[in-house]
Amino acid sequence: MTLATQARFAAVESFEQERRRILVRHRLQSVVGLILFSLVLAVSLQHSGFLDANIGSDPLARIGVFLGRMTPKLQADALLADRRTAGSLASWFYDLPLWLRAAYQTFEMAALATAIGAAGAVVAGLLCARNLMPFAPVRFVVRRSLEAIRTLPDMILALILVAAFGVGPFAGVLALTVSTVGGLGKLFAEINEQIDPRPLEAIEASGANRARQIRYGVLPQVLPAYASYALIRLEGNLAAAAALGIVGAGGIGLELQRAISYTEFDTYLAILLLMVGMIFAIDIISEQIRHRLIGLGGPR
Amino acid sequence: MSEAAVERDRMAAKAAGPSWPRRLAPPLLTLLGVAILARMAVDVGFSPTRLFHGAGRLGQLVGTMVPPSSGGQFLHILSALGETLAMAFVGTLLGALAALPLGILGAKTVVSQPVLHFAFRRVLDLFRGVPALVWALILVSAFGLGPFAGVCALALADIPHLAKLFAEAIENADAKPVEGVRSTGMAPLGVVRFGLLPQVAPVMASQCLFYLESNFRHAAVLGIVGAGGIGFELEERIRVFAFSVVAFIILLYMLSVAALDTASRELRKRLA
Repeated sequence: MTLATQARFAAVESFEQERRRILVRHRLQSVVGLILFSLVLAVSLQHSGFLDANIGSDPLARIGVFLGRMTPKLQADALLADRRTAGSLASWFYDLPLWLRAAYQTFEMAALATAIGAAGAVVAGLLCARNLMPFAPVRFVVRRSLEAIRTLPDMILALILVAAFGVGPFAGVLALTVSTVGGLGKLFAEINEQIDPRPLEAIEASGANRARQIRYGVLPQVLPAYASYALIRLEGNLAAAAALGIVGAGGIGLELQRAISYTEFDTYLAILLLMVGMIFAIDIISEQIRHRLIGLGGPR
Repeated sequence: MSEAAVERDRMAAKAAGPSWPRRLAPPLLTLLGVAILARMAVDVGFSPTRLFHGAGRLGQLVGTMVPPSSGGQFLHILSALGETLAMAFVGTLLGALAALPLGILGAKTVVSQPVLHFAFRRVLDLFRGVPALVWALILVSAFGLGPFAGVCALALADIPHLAKLFAEAIENADAKPVEGVRSTGMAPLGVVRFGLLPQVAPVMASQCLFYLESNFRHAAVLGIVGAGGIGFELEERIRVFAFSVVAFIILLYMLSVAALDTASRELRKRLA
């Protein structure tokens, strides 16, 4: 055997060793990962009481009974009759005008909270953008406050605000406004940090004051993106506002809660359908507007 | 008119700015928007006196929050917090397991029939409109109070979201490795295991972690409608106006949310 062949064998040998070592390490990692995961799962299953939950003797049958109670008792021949006839659509949606008014109130809550919250978020976004706010302490404080708001679910905020401002949609609007500032403020700051600095510098060089620099150097660049994010937030706020009614903050959620507490499950389904339909419709409209905004705001 | 004259007129018109109606439109629209919002504000019961009165009461409430105290029930609160975390974990896992087959069916590259694809996606869209809280209301009345209903609600609310994300992950996967593995003559299951899975598994895992974070927040809220955990404790304390304990629970909760978010961000960074 020549020296060259020997060297080649040695090289192959060391390569094989290295490969084996990597394989063993990978397997070990997956085994340890799997054990950790199962451990967390076991503890979670035990602690959440998921397995030994007292859910009655025959859960599937109970779901069946429940679904049965949720299905409206419609009759084909009386479908279009007035609301006093049993089995008609009108008797299923018996309080439709009231529900529509409640749904509109939910929409008002979401729209107000989004508008006021977005206005607050514009200010917060300017105060914590690295390229627009030169004082680091201000940026730090605003950023941390926004983060703190984001960790707090709006429902918990609403509970506290209902205790302070009384039951009704007003407390719900306040809760949603605060959480909108937290969510949009961060996004707006990120948009601000990605702007092209040249227009801003040009306006600064012309001797404009700070407010005009932002008005003519920043806003034209960021406004389409702001509007698009605000519309996405409106969709989210609509779903949240519907849910807030459950803790007494007005709107369609209140009607939902009422139907549940009177065990009118078919009414519950009717209101739920109305709610989902409303959220669906707003989603579609806002998507159309957003696509158009992006189309306008794209090539600049 | 010569071409140059037309061009000159055009430039002159441009220099003069847009016509009057065009200049007036933005402020008028803004005014209209503000008027509509003001009308809405009146509708939801906004009034300055109410704002001041409520702010005063809020100030009082916050005053009673200091100093936060556990009320001698630290271990009890900690256990409730653990229950919420456990609910979030099991709920996310169940949701992900159920979303996996739906996501595969929802991918355009798997089910290429356009009508089926469209219908499937729209059904998922429809269910995405139902928030976890609404599921929880139904399930609490079906299964009774307790975390079981909460876990099911979280899972059910996650399924349409995760299925859509999974479907997109599968659609975005590179077709070349799949082709390559198939060309070696491997069975379809092997093609999925070695061609597709290495591409989509990290994406899916990081999305699951994302939903774990959001479910931890949702699980806290579900407690309010009777699905156990920290939300239940919180609501009880608010109801009896024990706001120093409320402040303690909220602070503890915010800390644990921040901790979970950090841990999940680290894990996701490793997956990417």
